[in-house]
Amino acid sequence: MYRKEVRRRRAVLALLVIGSFVFLTATFGEGSGPVQSGVSTIFSPLENGASRALKPVQDLVNWVDETFDARGENERLKSELEDARANDAAGKAAIQENVQLSGLVGLPKAGTIPTGYEPMTGRVIARSPTAWYSTVTIDVGSGDGAAVDDPVVNGDGLVGHIGAVTSSTSQVILLTDPSSQVSGKVVPVGTQGIVSSEVGNTQQLKLDFIDSSERIGKGATVVTAGWSTGEIASRYPPDIPIGKVTRASIVDQEASQQVQLRPFADMRSLEFLQVLTGGGAG
Amino acid sequence: MIITPRILVRITLIVVIGVLLQVTFFSQVELFHISPDILPALVVILGLLGGSLTGAVAGFSVGFLLDCLIFAPLGPSSLVLISVGYGSGVYRERFDLGNRWVAPLLCMAMTLAAELLFAVLQLMLGVDTPVSGLLAWDLIIKSIFAFFLGFPMYVGIRRILRPALVDEQPKPRRRRRRPRPQTLEI
Repeated sequence: MYRKEVRRRRAVLALLVIGSFVFLTATFGEGSGPVQSGVSTIFSPLENGASRALKPVQDLVNWVDETFDARGENERLKSELEDARANDAAGKAAIQENVQLSGLVGLPKAGTIPTGYEPMTGRVIARSPTAWYSTVTIDVGSGDGAAVDDPVVNGDGLVGHIGAVTSSTSQVILLTDPSSQVSGKVVPVGTQGIVSSEVGNTQQLKLDFIDSSERIGKGATVVTAGWSTGEIASRYPPDIPIGKVTRASIVDQEASQQVQLRPFADMRSLEFLQVLTGGGAG
Repeated sequence: MIITPRILVRITLIVVIGVLLQVTFFSQVELFHISPDILPALVVILGLLGGSLTGAVAGFSVGFLLDCLIFAPLGPSSLVLISVGYGSGVYRERFDLGNRWVAPLLCMAMTLAAELLFAVLQLMLGVDTPVSGLLAWDLIIKSIFAFFLGFPMYVGIRRILRPALVDEQPKPRRRRRRPRPQTLEI
């Protein structure tokens, strides 16, 4: 009797392990399949309701965490304010010049939302629990007009892009996800590189493949490069702010330098995001 | 554990509510910059209360639902949580659970093991991005959170599943002998 029970237990265990491997083989690198879309669609109203109901408790816990953090943050903000004041005068002059030049060549005025894109606001309803997948789920989907590869921003800058959609929800792959790579440009220098991340570090990004002969200064801003070559184009439109350079080091043995930057968008506390739809991302 | 349809419904609800709570609440709150992960602890507790088979099935279900809701490739979470559920079930079948620290300590150890196993799986699957040293801090703090959340979770889930627990069944009452009515012989 006992032996039979042990055999049954082992058979179920083997079945579960084999099932997991079958799922892994079928879905790895394939994006979201019909099973995931179906389950996600069924559970999205529950996710939405639970997220709204638990928001006050969530805010309370995050307030405690932020209170611990406030002292260090205060020092950093003071230092940033000094830098911002120094850059303010130069910035105003540059904007004035830009307006005049744009008028001269007949370009439309550029705002926060790139020309040709329609912003659609979504609320974060779920988040991945592991550092290996830096993703969030928002409550707008293909039914609202969101599509895979659409860029996603918030008030601070670029957040990521849409990785998968159902009719009512979308998965946003954040800049800090290991699979995320964005072509970025250091302004005003114009040097381009690839912005990527490290697993487990949500506060820092890195800009690779920059020629070591071009010096990048601390505090420089990195924006999306938004390249386009014929039919192929970057999924991100140009000039969306990504982050600020915190460190630039030249590797002696290599011809490239690695630049570290702090993203403008705080990836740890995302609540409302804007999906830029209708841009025809390549 | 005595699995009846009613208990199965309760276990299913525990799994669904646990995963929903994780993705909509625990993943979005932070203490010391780290979000708690209650799912390994949930599977450990189901394994401790129900045995290795219940633990493994619960682990598979939790992993599958989680991967569906966060649009991750299906499989890795299930594999990790099957190991966690089966392991804690085997522990329950071989050792005594008399000490009240066993559940939270096992939640802590298994959360650490689950996070490490998940990291190994991801590296085997070909994540070629550099791994930050902060990930070690993440693992340690998540395990400590699991210790503190493990005890109330164990008490709560044990209460919900009480009718199915063999240890909690009321002992059969001894029948009292009624005193024989004394009859007077006339």
